[in-house]
Amino acid sequence: MVTEATDTVAATRSRIQIQGAAKSFSGRTVVDIDDLTLGEYPVEGLIGPNGAGKTTLMRMIMHSTKLDRGTVTLVRPDGDDRGDVVLSELPTYAMAGLGVVKTNQVIMDFEKLTMWDSMLLSVAKPKQELPFKIFAEAPLFAEHEEEMRHYLDFFSLTDPADQAGSAGEKKLLDIVRCLLLKPSFLLLDEPTAGLPDDLTEKVMEAIRLLAASGTSVVVVEHDLNVIWNLSDQVHFMAEGSVILQGTPEEIRRHETVVEKYLGEGHVGG
Amino acid sequence: MSTDWLSSALVFGLFEVVMYIGMGFLLHMQLGLAGIGNFGVVGFWGLGMYAYGIIYGGHAPSGTDLIIDIPWPFGDPWQAIASVILATLVAGLGGLLIGWIISGMDLDGQLVGTFGFAAIVFLLARSQKGLTGSEGGIGGLDFPYDIGSEKANAMLWLLVASAIVIAIGYYTWRVHRSPYGRLLIATGQNEPLARSLGKPSNLTKLWMFTVTSAGMGLLGAMFAVIVHFLTPLKLGVDVTLAVIVALILGGAARVWGPVIGVLLTVGLFEIVVQLYAPFPDSWYRQAMPVVKQIIYGMSLIVVLMYRPLGILGDMRRDKLMRSIHGD
Ligand SMILES: Nc1ncnc2c1ncn2[C@@H]1O[C@H](COP(=O)(O)OP(=O)(O)OP(=O)(O)O)[C@@H](O)[C@H]1O
Ligand SMILES: [Mg+2]
Repeated sequence: MVTEATDTVAATRSRIQIQGAAKSFSGRTVVDIDDLTLGEYPVEGLIGPNGAGKTTLMRMIMHSTKLDRGTVTLVRPDGDDRGDVVLSELPTYAMAGLGVVKTNQVIMDFEKLTMWDSMLLSVAKPKQELPFKIFAEAPLFAEHEEEMRHYLDFFSLTDPADQAGSAGEKKLLDIVRCLLLKPSFLLLDEPTAGLPDDLTEKVMEAIRLLAASGTSVVVVEHDLNVIWNLSDQVHFMAEGSVILQGTPEEIRRHETVVEKYLGEGHVGG
Repeated sequence: MSTDWLSSALVFGLFEVVMYIGMGFLLHMQLGLAGIGNFGVVGFWGLGMYAYGIIYGGHAPSGTDLIIDIPWPFGDPWQAIASVILATLVAGLGGLLIGWIISGMDLDGQLVGTFGFAAIVFLLARSQKGLTGSEGGIGGLDFPYDIGSEKANAMLWLLVASAIVIAIGYYTWRVHRSPYGRLLIATGQNEPLARSLGKPSNLTKLWMFTVTSAGMGLLGAMFAVIVHFLTPLKLGVDVTLAVIVALILGGAARVWGPVIGVLLTVGLFEIVVQLYAPFPDSWYRQAMPVVKQIIYGMSLIVVLMYRPLGILGDMRRDKLMRSIHGD
């Protein structure tokens, strides 16, 4: 039924198709998805209670968690003749090259690397990182200085020659690293968690701009205001499966379901 | 220019200092940048050393040939140069094999795996009489040239080794200032994050480990030439200890760490104490090696317990980035 929808909507973006995919930890099924396509709309929200399996599903897409069974496939937009790619057969490090990128729910950083380092690491291509390319730093910096400074300004990050200090800076740097990879399919796992309102706005703006430029974005968020504001389509996940799909308005109409899982007062937002 | 003040013993001591600095640079890339633990430094170094002896055509002290006896179509210095290159490749293959085995292991696993490798190299050197001459050793390894005296020959070899180590040091210094160095550091500090940014972390580490192991083998082969005579006794754990202690004392994450650390350890022992301290002769033969091992061993325990940052302190990417890219 999902595939039918794919046929009727003109596909101008990369999509990810998840089929028969399951994952359990110590005998407990955490994700069990029969057939799900992500990326048919510019921005899709993925919501659900704690422990629903949202992060695990995203990690399965990135193949940083091994699937027990099933496949994850990257489906290219119409007119892109590079062909579909079965992501679940590839190593994690191959994803970025294919344009599939994910930010982290838990704060992640390189202990001793500065913000310049993080950004330059993102933009460096394999051939610029070869062991004998010992003079490649200056040209790499010159090539990407403008876009790096653009994102620093955009998120009001200062002192890029220093490490990201606060949790908020680290969270933003994580997003910047992903944006610099120029993803065609971006998964954001709670990108605004812990951020003050002004930066939450900035992150939402970045997501809108990215989606407008043709990237498929999937956002996991507990802050439903963000979801209702941003998403063209919402997937509601509970106990490892997607139990509801629809526009934000349609999802909000299923008040009983949403409140059962997320508690009262969430729907009104 | 008179070189009388330079005794043969001093030349040998300086050679050791230079060689250990080179090993320190290589271990710095493995441990200080990519975060790979190597307790088997002597294994890769010794593999290069023995491979050189065997390939060059050394023989048992009795004069009997070893099993492998390459009919070299050309003589020295080319025979020695070709042998050094081949020995380097052999050590690189060892690095590839061990690197592949330990890839995906945590630091403890890496330490045990590399330590085991060094033990195997030692056992092979001791037990394979036909191949390595076992306890009898391999002799017949002289300088590939003769410019007058033993001392002059050794000095020239010291110069060659110094040039190689300076090149290794310069490369290390450049690596810190290149995207490759950043890739190594990122891989060492957060492998899952590096992978998610598209970096093939295992391949990166494996290739680096292979090349740096080959470098250790190169220095081992150079050492084989200056000592002339190889025995399993030279493959003691003290070589590994010296490199690790020196590197960590100087600062494992800093380019100049190995230089400072080696000068303060190997330099102090092999040159200052060995040549200039007024201890009685019997001391040097009996007590000194034991004292040295005890001090290295105890330093290692301290290192493992407290993981100190060394004299030069921790990595300072902020200073480096400021100096090369401005604020
Ligand atoms: N590596 C793991 N080992 C064991 N259990 C795990 C592992 N990863 C996740 N789980 C379990 O799987 C379930 C789903 O976790 P997941 O992180 O995917 O939920 P989530 O929907 O992202 O929740 P949240 O909204 O709290 O982030 C949880 O019960 C969690 O404890
Ligand atoms: Mg989660």
